[in-house]
Amino acid sequence: MTRAQKRDQARSAPWAAWRAQHRAAANNSWQKLAVQPVVTGVTWLVIAISLALPSTLLLTLDNLSAVTGGVDRPPQLSVLLTGESELPVAEELQRTLKAWLEIDDVVLLDRERALSQFIQQTDLAAVVRSLARNPLPHTLIVIPMSATSEVAMTELGQRVQTLSGIDRVIVDTRWVSRLETALQAGWRWVLALGTVMLMGAVLVLGNTLRLAIEARKDEILVVHLIGGSPAFARRPFLYLGLWYGVGGGLVAALLLMMMTWWMAGPVNALFLLYESPLRMRAPGAFYPVSLIVLGGSLGLLSARLAAERYFRQLVSQAAS
Amino acid sequence: MIEFDRVSRRFGQQDALRNLNLQIDNGEMALLTGHSGAGKSTLLRLLLLLDRPTGGQILVDGQSTQQIQGNAVGHYRRRFGVVFQEHRLLFDRNVRDNISLPLEIAGFSPKDANRRVRAALDKVGLLSKERADPNGLSGGEQQRVAIARAVVARPEFLIADEPTGNLDPALSAEIMALFEAFNQVGVTVLVATHDASLIARSDHRLMTLAAGQFIQAEAA
Repeated sequence: MTRAQKRDQARSAPWAAWRAQHRAAANNSWQKLAVQPVVTGVTWLVIAISLALPSTLLLTLDNLSAVTGGVDRPPQLSVLLTGESELPVAEELQRTLKAWLEIDDVVLLDRERALSQFIQQTDLAAVVRSLARNPLPHTLIVIPMSATSEVAMTELGQRVQTLSGIDRVIVDTRWVSRLETALQAGWRWVLALGTVMLMGAVLVLGNTLRLAIEARKDEILVVHLIGGSPAFARRPFLYLGLWYGVGGGLVAALLLMMMTWWMAGPVNALFLLYESPLRMRAPGAFYPVSLIVLGGSLGLLSARLAAERYFRQLVSQAAS
Repeated sequence: MIEFDRVSRRFGQQDALRNLNLQIDNGEMALLTGHSGAGKSTLLRLLLLLDRPTGGQILVDGQSTQQIQGNAVGHYRRRFGVVFQEHRLLFDRNVRDNISLPLEIAGFSPKDANRRVRAALDKVGLLSKERADPNGLSGGEQQRVAIARAVVARPEFLIADEPTGNLDPALSAEIMALFEAFNQVGVTVLVATHDASLIARSDHRLMTLAAGQFIQAEAA
């Protein structure tokens, strides 16, 4: 048996060896982080801010989407009749409006039903009973044809307003379409901002890892000279990138939860003031897990890019 | 067996090696000498595939190194233990972790690696320094750690480039005695040196390079 065969016999099984090498690289990289707590902390914080800012905006947009999502009815007109208009006038107006081509349906909400709904929703029965008469007017809910634009809605409202017996026409749910348009712009803004922030994180990580590679170039050269594969030499830096990224993701998740907790009080109070059943959504598990996975992936990507670039330089130095 | 068959290495208009023929048998120990710039380091670099010849071919156990490419280069280099003049120890690792590096690369289990590291340290007389910081070791001790690292994975070939360059004569003799001890257990040893006193004391084959060619190849 040759020396090489004896040596091969003493080696672990390939899978066990591979695991042992990974375990050693992971532990070694973690120890390198632990001995530089300030550098590690600052790097984690930079990554965390890059991840937490866009994710906070995403969470805000998610909450706003929930608000608009709750209003899934089509745009409509609320036509408030004058106080003097009696029910037959309201019914006549309902028939007139239903005949218009651009109107799909007209629902009459008489003042008695409106009052009972108001009492149910506001819990102000005692106050209402103390009034001499019902202050609410008869109301017509006008639902236009589905493809009615905002301009057409405004024109329709103006035309309805010209009819006699009508006090006010409110084009409601217009704010929903405006909010939705604003949200679409918001999503794009967050996407652009997020992309820029993530690129910044990759650059910061890349530079940190470049310095780490520079600091350990002797080790890389020795590994190269004594037969270590490029993957073996690269592995500790990939783990270093992973630990930076995962740590940054964890801190980002903590920041996001803290910001959500801080914001939830006033936002939920606002919802309550408007008697909305909505409450500010917590990040749940999705956001923290996504941040950690994203951070880890960014760390690995940055490490891979930095290692590819600087290893080539170092190996050509070794060959010269 | 290491065989150089009309090997040349040209850098621009300058020949570092010219039609060099060399044969080192398995289990042999040989010394390579020559002035600075004679081609010693080029020869070792070609042998370790840190560079490639511009002419001729190098055969190791009958296999041409020209065929060794990509990941196979790492496997090929693991057949060699290399001792550098400047030690090339890693000063952020202790002695034990420096020596175990080739075993980590070769995929030895931690238990087996630990046993081999202790055996290698014992051979170079540094068992008590297993956990020591290399910064705290003398030059001679550092070189012995480098030798332990070179032999820990029991390579077929031991290559040393000016291993005694920074050491006094007594320490140089100790280092050479270590190489001889490894050679006696079957390791093929090639030592590049221009240490005249070392050469004078040695009874191994001496090859002298000048301007990229051998001017003398003699057996003791």
